Amino acid sequence: MAEEPRIGVFVCECGINIAGTVDCDEVTEWARTLPNVVFSVKNRYTCAEPGQQEIKRFIKEKNLNRVVVASCTPRMHEPTFRRCCADAGLNPYLFEMANIREHCSWVHSDRKKATEKAKDIVKVAVAKARLLEPQEELEVPVTQAALVIGGGIAGIQASLDLADAGYQVYLVEKEPTIGGLMSYINKTFPTMD
Amino acid sequence: MDVGRHPKIKLLAYSEIEEITGYIGNFHVKVRKKARYVDEIACTACGECVKVCPVVKPDEHQLGLATRKAIYIPFAQAVPASYLIDMEDCLGNNPIACGACAEVCDPRAIDYDQKDEILELDVGVAIVATGMDVCDPTILDEYRYTKYENVITSWEFEILTGPGYVTRGELLRPTDRKVPKSIAFVQCVGSRAERRGNPYCSNICCMNTIKDTLYLKEHHPEIDCTVFYMDIRAFGKGYEELYKRSKEVGVKYIRGIPGDIVEDRKTRNLVLTVENTTTGKIQRHEFEMVVLSIGVIPRPDTETVQRLLTLSKAADGFLMETHYQLNPIDAPTGGVFLAGCCESPKDIKASVIQASGAASRAETLLSAGKVKVEAITSEVIPDLCKACGICVDVCPYGSITVDRKAKTPASIVEAACKGCGTCGAECRFDALRMRHFTDDQIIAMIDAMFEERPEEKVCIFACNWCSYGGADLAGLSRMQYPPSGRVIRTMCSGRVAEKFVWHAFRKGAPVVLISGCHFADCHYIDANRWTQKRVEKLWDKMEQKGIRPERLQLEWISAAEAVKWTRVMHAVEELRKTVTREEIEETMRILSEEKGK
Amino acid sequence: MAEEVTFKCLRCGYTYKGTYDRKVPEERECPKCGSNSVRPLPKGKGD
Repeated sequence: MAEEPRIGVFVCECGINIAGTVDCDEVTEWARTLPNVVFSVKNRYTCAEPGQQEIKRFIKEKNLNRVVVASCTPRMHEPTFRRCCADAGLNPYLFEMANIREHCSWVHSDRKKATEKAKDIVKVAVAKARLLEPQEELEVPVTQAALVIGGGIAGIQASLDLADAGYQVYLVEKEPTIGGLMSYINKTFPTMD
Repeated sequence: MDVGRHPKIKLLAYSEIEEITGYIGNFHVKVRKKARYVDEIACTACGECVKVCPVVKPDEHQLGLATRKAIYIPFAQAVPASYLIDMEDCLGNNPIACGACAEVCDPRAIDYDQKDEILELDVGVAIVATGMDVCDPTILDEYRYTKYENVITSWEFEILTGPGYVTRGELLRPTDRKVPKSIAFVQCVGSRAERRGNPYCSNICCMNTIKDTLYLKEHHPEIDCTVFYMDIRAFGKGYEELYKRSKEVGVKYIRGIPGDIVEDRKTRNLVLTVENTTTGKIQRHEFEMVVLSIGVIPRPDTETVQRLLTLSKAADGFLMETHYQLNPIDAPTGGVFLAGCCESPKDIKASVIQASGAASRAETLLSAGKVKVEAITSEVIPDLCKACGICVDVCPYGSITVDRKAKTPASIVEAACKGCGTCGAECRFDALRMRHFTDDQIIAMIDAMFEERPEEKVCIFACNWCSYGGADLAGLSRMQYPPSGRVIRTMCSGRVAEKFVWHAFRKGAPVVLISGCHFADCHYIDANRWTQKRVEKLWDKMEQKGIRPERLQLEWISAAEAVKWTRVMHAVEELRKTVTREEIEETMRILSEEKGK
Repeated sequence: MAEEVTFKCLRCGYTYKGTYDRKVPEERECPKCGSNSVRPLPKGKGD
């Protein structure tokens, strides 16, 4: 490996969503003892602007080359934090997330056990982070046309919006006419027209 | 309608999508444009053909309550404004037999030999707006919908009072063709019911009934209208006002859902028995007509769209958004957006709002003109590749090629690889490297997980799209389960190589769980079939080695199945408790001796 | 080729007979407990 990993761990309290069940101070302190972790800090909301600013600041100040955020599911905020790392000049694939909210604080009530589990989750994420490698994303062109499936009121509206914006739209409707269920309806609420 | 005339919209009515391939920004679509047997452009919709057509059929656009001919237009304002022939019934199938319409067609638009056309389109984005359907009222048999003619559905009410119907907006009682003097509306038919119908609220039925009562009262103030309900959900802008107006014009509201309906044979009137939950009394009410306010359901063909675009369905059968609050329009597949009732039951306004939202989300991509695709793809390490070709066999996308005879290493088309990692899991020579989910990374995660107190933990592999999402939903729903599970996320369960499972057991795992999408939901076409095959092999090998196969569990958990995830977490914890320290040590010994060889 | 095998649920232990085809994988669910950990037992076992 080219350079020794220098990992920063950011532990999010998510207000009381995480801090209510997991001792975030303990997790933050303990994270510092993990291999290659050179820095750890607790944030109230890591995903909020001040939290993201902290990530960017510490990447520079502490010369971090890997970032682990212990917060919520990567299915939600992984793109947010990847962008944040990229803004600070770090390859976004050198970021790893530890889900201590959906998979921990929200599903357990025993504070001690939840804190132990949260530590393990962070430890596993750090283990992966140590071996992360930068990746280059393939950039592909976007064909300048849209497919709309279904010609009911929603499909019609979406088609018109896109077409008015100047894009070619293919509106595919199964039935012989567009209109969908809406075309059956006599009067509509609440205007009664 | 503007859609038919807009220069930027190509309307493909009477068409079905057969295939969608590609990825965000670059979809290739095959559409079957079904033969109408009438030239859409030439047809002037003069209607001369209908006059001479000898075939009379029930009109499905009027729910069979009216008739149409074999050559027909769904309704007067149809777009495209063109007739079509129902070839199943047309006598022109054999033009010698009939051909009447062609004779009278001045613009010569009729073509009995027209064939289905296959169109191929290239698009960058797709908006799914496949809508919803109405619920089948026969599931609640106590209302005798099929038996009593004067019991109709709210949907039939729309048709019977519609401008296209023969009565021109006048509601007549089916048995005597007279304006009914009294009419009851029964709410929540097929909605908010755990056992029969659907557990969810259909969202639109309360307001629809209020609208119907006002429509009736406007034309016939003397009609006695009564609504039987659980709760009236009038939550939108102007909705409460409309509810009040309906009460002001004399519509009666009784809180209680009728238990049954009985017809008086002589008068054909209907007697409803209901517990009025406000007074707690059992009441009987007689009406000349009853309207069942039926709920809405996902369209049965939602599954086709789901398969074509690898989307997810929620437990209620509607299509799933990426995130309930923060990303309610994007589908889990990149470049695909949801609009209208395919996502959940909603009224017209909400559909239009979501449709504009979907168009705007699509435009964000289109106007950028380019998009980055995740770098999670597979790469070949040529020096290790023995050109055995197993990766070619397992790749769901056909993105790998190899020349087995010439023994030249495999090669991967990166843009076609979606990153399931099945090739990496199946390769026996470690010649395939899954970027961002490498063997080394996953092994290191297992090592970290079991460094301390391994006997207390269950090693869980969860696929990104379904199982991990199911666990997220369990969290979002604050379901509680034992804290023994430790999750390793992979994009697909197909990524979970045999060696990961052995490694976990070698490091002291009491139990390993592999969880993925249900077969129908697999986000990598069929990659998770390989997961199952691999697990079956592992069970056999475990048994041969003297390790209880039970300690490796397999579960298919969708992103909607938070309840199943929770149940499985309890089950694996129970299983973990049966695994003794001695058993774990024995397994570790067996596996490390083997490795030493 | 589809063959008659004994399936064993590795969650609850329930066993039942059914057809199994290696080439055509099907999603299996234990009819008793609903688990997907359903193992097709090798020939000669559980018969």
